[in-house]
Amino acid sequence: MSSGNETGSRYRWPLALTLWYSTLFVLGSIVIVLLTYVLTAASLAQRDQQIIQAKVGEYAAIYSRGGVRALAATVQAEQRTAPERLFVRVVSAGSEAIVFSDRGDWDPSRLETASLRLRDGTLIEVGKSTEAREDILSRFRAVLGVVTLSIVVIALTGGWLATQSALRPIRQLTTAVRRVITTGHIDERVPTGPHDDDIDELTRLFNEMLEKIERLVTGMRGALDNVSHDLRTPLTRLRGVAEMALAGQPDRERYREALADAVEESDRVLVMLNTLMDISEAESGAMPLHCEPVRLSDVAERSVELYREVADAKDVTLDVKTSGEVVVSADRVRLEQVAANLVDNAVKYTPAGGHVSVEVLSEGSRGLLRVRDSGAGIPADELPHIWDRLFRGDVSRAERGLGLGLSLVKAIVEAHRGTVTVESQLGRGSTFTVAIPST
Amino acid sequence: MHALIIEDDHTIADFVARGLREAGFAVDVAGDGEEGLQVALEQSPDVAIVDLMLPRRDGLSVIDELRRRGRTTPVLILSARRSVDDRVRGLQAGGDDYLTKPFAFAELLARVQALVRRASRAPEPTTLTVDDLALDLLTRKVTRGGTVIELRPREFALLEYLMRNAGKVVSKTMILSHVWEYNFDPQTNIVDVLVSRLRDRIDRPFDKKLLQTVRGVGYVIRQ
Repeated sequence: MSSGNETGSRYRWPLALTLWYSTLFVLGSIVIVLLTYVLTAASLAQRDQQIIQAKVGEYAAIYSRGGVRALAATVQAEQRTAPERLFVRVVSAGSEAIVFSDRGDWDPSRLETASLRLRDGTLIEVGKSTEAREDILSRFRAVLGVVTLSIVVIALTGGWLATQSALRPIRQLTTAVRRVITTGHIDERVPTGPHDDDIDELTRLFNEMLEKIERLVTGMRGALDNVSHDLRTPLTRLRGVAEMALAGQPDRERYREALADAVEESDRVLVMLNTLMDISEAESGAMPLHCEPVRLSDVAERSVELYREVADAKDVTLDVKTSGEVVVSADRVRLEQVAANLVDNAVKYTPAGGHVSVEVLSEGSRGLLRVRDSGAGIPADELPHIWDRLFRGDVSRAERGLGLGLSLVKAIVEAHRGTVTVESQLGRGSTFTVAIPST
Repeated sequence: MHALIIEDDHTIADFVARGLREAGFAVDVAGDGEEGLQVALEQSPDVAIVDLMLPRRDGLSVIDELRRRGRTTPVLILSARRSVDDRVRGLQAGGDDYLTKPFAFAELLARVQALVRRASRAPEPTTLTVDDLALDLLTRKVTRGGTVIELRPREFALLEYLMRNAGKVVSKTMILSHVWEYNFDPQTNIVDVLVSRLRDRIDRPFDKKLLQTVRGVGYVIRQ
């Protein structure tokens, strides 16, 4: 689609909207104006009619009391004094005009008349000029015309302005979306208005969508960066092992050693890759969680079972303490992974004769899984970093591991809208507490 | 036993074929989906190993077509994707098992043999024996050369798994998923610990060592 076409369609529908509203508004106003005019004209005509009807009655009464003479006198007197001259004609039974105004002075098309035939056959006719009325009405028409015109102007401009202001947030949204699409800067946000209307709701939802996309994209980018970085070390080792074996003297036993090293190293690469992908997926919200009601005590018991032999071999006691049934909504496999990782750490860093316990309890609407050890503890300056990817503290460097366990724990727990916290005292042990919402 | 491998990566196809031949299979290899489907239809192998991403006809469609034509050949799907959804899709299309790349050959072999066994419905043994070591599945009693050996439940489960796969190497991952039913890798070497405990019970007091470590690959119990 060309840009000209786009601009055309951009104005087409607000224009149509404006025209529709203006047309309806103007039509409504015209109906009201016409109605007002017709009613005013009718009531003016009715008033004139009442005036002349009354005059006819009055003249008839004067005629019947004082005859033609009295009537002529009254008419003449009135013709001189009254503010508006009336047309008066009295015709006797013999078709003889007795009293009348000069017909030549009157335009018959602008004359409103009423007549009454008396008992003796005399006809009294009174007329009133419609000129004054016409004058008022024509002025009224002029006023109404101006009013109608202003209504049209107001309707058109008002409608246009209203449409424009109503469309402004949509336009902002469109512009922002286009900017995001063309530049790829997903950190853009559309400004929201102060009201809580539909458009604001749309803007808000759109921003939320952008935020989600941003989280996903940055998560994926970060994952890619981390994976490519983290895999370099084991791959270097893998390559080194093979290269050294090939470069040296041919020797069956050395080849076997090198091959075994290579297999172990590539297994480590695989575990690392899987763990990194899990962390990134969990952090970005892309990890599919098959949530179901899970009994925390089952999870705790299984993790303890998994490490039973290892703990025994190390002479570390390992036990589970549960209080009542604590059920949380979680992905069972992922939660077991969390528990296993915490118990793994606890057993790993607890010396012979030490103690590791896994407790399950509930606190408000959350289930808690607490792994307590009597191990070395974590130095205060290392505490904030233990959740970082590939962070290995001074103590942990001596142990086997990837430095990803706690990052994975944190990512999975947070993907469940839970929290994981740690308290530690150097030389006395650490306590990790995972809190997962029950529903 | 006749196995068909439908895989377009030559290196993978070669090592799987070699491994299966060593395990006593007759092996055919097809490099694309169309060819694989033809071979599967003409020769009716006992088991097929099907990669999902294939030229000319993808793996899911090969399986789909086989099933549509009423073939019940057991199929092990190979895929580089590890998400649960992909696994479900593969099994829904008619695959019988699913293995994610990269995999240990030992695991592939175990799965292929399980598929063939399931298809042929061989009767379950009640006693497993390797040399003078015997494990009774009904009484759950283990003896070696007549001496009764006491095992903890977890040790028994490990020994049973190793003896069911006697002569074949099983990987740590396979042991983890069979003995503990955990399908992820804990970082500490839980398996090593359990294996060494089991070794203390069944091998240490005797001259002949049956439980062997194959470095980098896993463990095997054999004469």
